[in-house]
Amino acid sequence: MKQLFTILALITAILALILSVLPVSNLAIFPAALALIFGLIAFYLSKKAGEVKKIIQFSFLLTIMALAVTTYKAIFNTTEVGNTETLVEKEETSKEEAIEELEELNLEEIELDE
Amino acid sequence: MKHILIALLFFATATLKAQNNAVAAGEKLVYTASYNMSGVLNDIAQVTLETSNVKTSKATLLHLKCKAVTYSKWDNFFKIRDLYESYVNPKTLTPYLYKRDINEGGYSKNMKYTFSHKTKTVKTVQTKGDWVEEKTVNINSGTYDIVATLYKIRLFDFESMQVGAKKSFTVIFDRKEINAQITYLGKETLSTAIGSKTCYKIAVGSSESNVIKGNKDNMLWLTADANKIMVYGKFKIPVGNGELKIKSATGVKN
Repeated sequence: MKQLFTILALITAILALILSVLPVSNLAIFPAALALIFGLIAFYLSKKAGEVKKIIQFSFLLTIMALAVTTYKAIFNTTEVGNTETLVEKEETSKEEAIEELEELNLEEIELDE
Repeated sequence: MKHILIALLFFATATLKAQNNAVAAGEKLVYTASYNMSGVLNDIAQVTLETSNVKTSKATLLHLKCKAVTYSKWDNFFKIRDLYESYVNPKTLTPYLYKRDINEGGYSKNMKYTFSHKTKTVKTVQTKGDWVEEKTVNINSGTYDIVATLYKIRLFDFESMQVGAKKSFTVIFDRKEINAQITYLGKETLSTAIGSKTCYKIAVGSSESNVIKGNKDNMLWLTADANKIMVYGKFKIPVGNGELKIKSATGVKN
């Protein structure tokens, strides 16, 4: 039982850390919360048995790191659009092509602007 | 009697042909697309809907443009640069030319439809790198492309619709005609980035799905004014749901 919770805490802590460095950093909150719960249970059980393993403290450390990264990203990173130069170019060429194409169509049924 | 007949005829034509009194050239709507899992939001991309006038030697058309661009934090993982365009009749929003140019995480595809409403056909050209494929597809009258449909929804008169009323239409996508249906679900007030708005709540689905029975997976909220701009959208995806929230709206008609 003690071992199970220790392993669960470690796995969820690692998952939280991985998620926190990805763009979906906000999702790291879920495994981080689980890691804390599992870690606390493991800690409590180990203390009752008389020996607290270093690995439990290590999983706490990982969780805290993950939460720190997530919080930092949520507060300081602004969401902005990346490089759109190629898209802007594409838009322009596409429009030019479209006008040529539209010229070929028979559009006489459309009234011109009044 | 003559006057009544003329009035009736005018009324009939006015209701038959949905006149464009909601979409104007120069309109720009910016949205944030995000992924929502149990209330934790993750911004993914910026979606922009733009309109402008395009002049050819014969006519002036309305150019509808829909762009999707991922935020910079995503660019190294999964970069999206999508461009959907439609050239439509400014009065009825009937499409003449549709172009789709997508680039999603290294996968790119080009599609071009040229509508011929007289012969009820669409000439399609698909390009992937050097590979070009041409095909002509038959359509029903009143089939729109996806971008024009997005704007066409704004021409419906929701005010006169009853709660639960449905409207069907066909959309051509990936060279196939898809039957779509919207259901009007009443009014709702939402607080958005452009202020608190009373909105028409609309469920979108294919005509097979039964929206009223509780299948409200895809929903749209359009402002309950003359512009009927979309302020919020919600889409069901396997885990959690996708959201489209308005960020700014400029150059609206009314």
